[in-house]
Amino acid sequence: MNEQQTMLADTASGLFAELSHRAIVADDWSSIEEMGFTGLLLSEADGGFGGNWVDAGIVFRLVGYHALALPLVEAVIAARLASSVGFELAGIGTIAERTDGKLESGRFTGTVRGAAWGRDASYVVAPSPDGGALILPTADAVIEQRCNVADEPRDVLHFSGVQGTPVEAHVHALGAAARTMQTAGALDAALAMAVGYVNDRKQFGKPLGKLQAVQQALAVFACEAAASNSGAVGVAQALDRGDSTFEVAAAKLRANMAAGIGTAIAHQAHGAIGFTQEYELHPLTRRLWSWRSEYGSEQFWSKTLGAHVAGLGADEYWADMTRRFDSIL
Amino acid sequence: MQTFTIKPFEMPPGSAALREQVRAIIREHVTDGDIARRANCWQVNDPQFSRALAKAGFVGMTLPKEYGGHERSALERYIVLEELLSAGAPVGAHWIADRQTAPLLIRYGTEEQRRRWVPGIAAGEVYGCIGLSEPNAGSDLASVRASARRDGDGWVLNGQKIWTTNAHISQIMIGLFRSEEGSERNAGLSQFLIPLDTPGITIRPIINLTGEHDFNEVFFDDVRLTADALVGEEGRGWAQATAELSLERSGPERYLSSMVLVTELVRHAAATGDPAATALAGRFVSEAWTLRQMSLAVAGRMAMGEDPALEATIVKDLGNSFEQAIPQLVQQMIDLDLSSDDAIAVLTAQLLQVSPSFSLRGGTREILRGIVARGLGLR
Repeated sequence: MNEQQTMLADTASGLFAELSHRAIVADDWSSIEEMGFTGLLLSEADGGFGGNWVDAGIVFRLVGYHALALPLVEAVIAARLASSVGFELAGIGTIAERTDGKLESGRFTGTVRGAAWGRDASYVVAPSPDGGALILPTADAVIEQRCNVADEPRDVLHFSGVQGTPVEAHVHALGAAARTMQTAGALDAALAMAVGYVNDRKQFGKPLGKLQAVQQALAVFACEAAASNSGAVGVAQALDRGDSTFEVAAAKLRANMAAGIGTAIAHQAHGAIGFTQEYELHPLTRRLWSWRSEYGSEQFWSKTLGAHVAGLGADEYWADMTRRFDSIL
Repeated sequence: MQTFTIKPFEMPPGSAALREQVRAIIREHVTDGDIARRANCWQVNDPQFSRALAKAGFVGMTLPKEYGGHERSALERYIVLEELLSAGAPVGAHWIADRQTAPLLIRYGTEEQRRRWVPGIAAGEVYGCIGLSEPNAGSDLASVRASARRDGDGWVLNGQKIWTTNAHISQIMIGLFRSEEGSERNAGLSQFLIPLDTPGITIRPIINLTGEHDFNEVFFDDVRLTADALVGEEGRGWAQATAELSLERSGPERYLSSMVLVTELVRHAAATGDPAATALAGRFVSEAWTLRQMSLAVAGRMAMGEDPALEATIVKDLGNSFEQAIPQLVQQMIDLDLSSDDAIAVLTAQLLQVSPSFSLRGGTREILRGIVARGLGLR
């Protein structure tokens, strides 16, 4: 990390640790706004931080690490997309995972699902039925409140003839990218808790961490967390380079696999205490379980990526993968 | 807690052109023949190919020019290796000499040792092996007992090494011997450069489960070496042998040993449209991409002069598990006739048999995970 990124990370970490999974939009969103986090991906000319996706990745990872219960990643992405087409930014923007409905003369009628904190948002960016994405003001939407298993709002919004603003963007892919970054952070945090716990907890007259079986399991966890983090950095770099369809698929798929293995080991290492509401492992693991399904399961992305490489062909897929990272000169 | 630190770096300029050069050599020399030989190709020997590769400047790439090297960067070498490995090129003959023996001699060897051996290595003609394991020193390497005793100006070696890959085709071994009588564990060990035609050395084959001859037993019976056979410092053998582990553990060979089967799976998926094959190919490519990010990140940090030992260990454990799982999962998901000549069947059959070694060689899975656990602050 460069100096600016280190400062960004320190600021984010301090604030997110304080807000944590107990944050409430009504009370705590202002502190996010005050720090200017929602403008992370807006240019300085647009009053933003002027950051790139690697910077956003650092912050999104920390959102995951601290299980921050605020729609920060969604607001950052929504603001970036809305600002790119000159949509007037007011209030909290969010993104949604799925859209069912139709667009007639620019007016959208239908349903948008998986809108993070849709109830608190003034606009939502959702996949458009005609491809690309659609920015929809929520003022006239009927909102059905739903939550993922971590109690993060994932609302269903019903629209009837609402004027949408089209934007060229793969909002589903951006959502997937964000979840890989959050997953990376949450896995590192759950790993840190598990390591701390087995070093403290004594059985058989010694810390659990002295037992080889426990050590081996946590080593597996560390490898998965490392893979997830590497993928998250790779996807951020790809987003900054341009075409990132391959990397999003690869990274989200790998992050999902890591989440499956990591959550299981985290709970096993903690024993019964990790299964209680009081002990704060579940804000991480319940998020990881949720995010594993959001914006594409392993099956979804493995089919997508498999079709991509099969389309390139056996004699080209490797060349394509390496070309993406090579210096061209 | 941050498990894996990545520092930004760029691939060297000219990467694409360099890849094309390597691919051209592969097209010229690696023609259809025994498809099974493309699996786990860094343990497949073809001295003719090694010489051709050397002639093109792709052996000893990072070594000084005065010893026959090419003074290319570590990342350029990485590019060449990953191209060779992903294509299944038979790079086994020179692999160890190129990766370990020559760099060790440049770092610790005497001027005479360098002049005597390194140009031959860079020419793809001198091959090396590593004498570490013994019958009673496998994962517990610090219990090495083979001895080196001072005798006048020189040394006398006695004892036995085992599982020594390529001893039968190598001219030299870098061996770890107990040079201080009565020393314990990792103290009192030294590294020696041993020409394998020295009297008193007996090499016996150990045939592996596929019937192939990769590894050997090597016996030392009053083997007399001159004083300059000692590599580096007396008694510093353990530190010297383990210093290079990051390079050895995180290279592309730690996850690409089965990549040729992934390629055949992609071909199968494209030809048949089988959704199971397509999805499995997608999964493998996701894992390969991630491992490549990780392996390159370690290479990038080493190019900056750092030693990310923990990260390198993580790459090896994950990479070995990945390359080992590939034939198992292909077998699970695709109907194959393993007696057929189909490339996908031939490679699956070969890799099912040789892949158990992937999580044994260069540090077993359990040892690696112990190192990772220590890095986490357990133990």
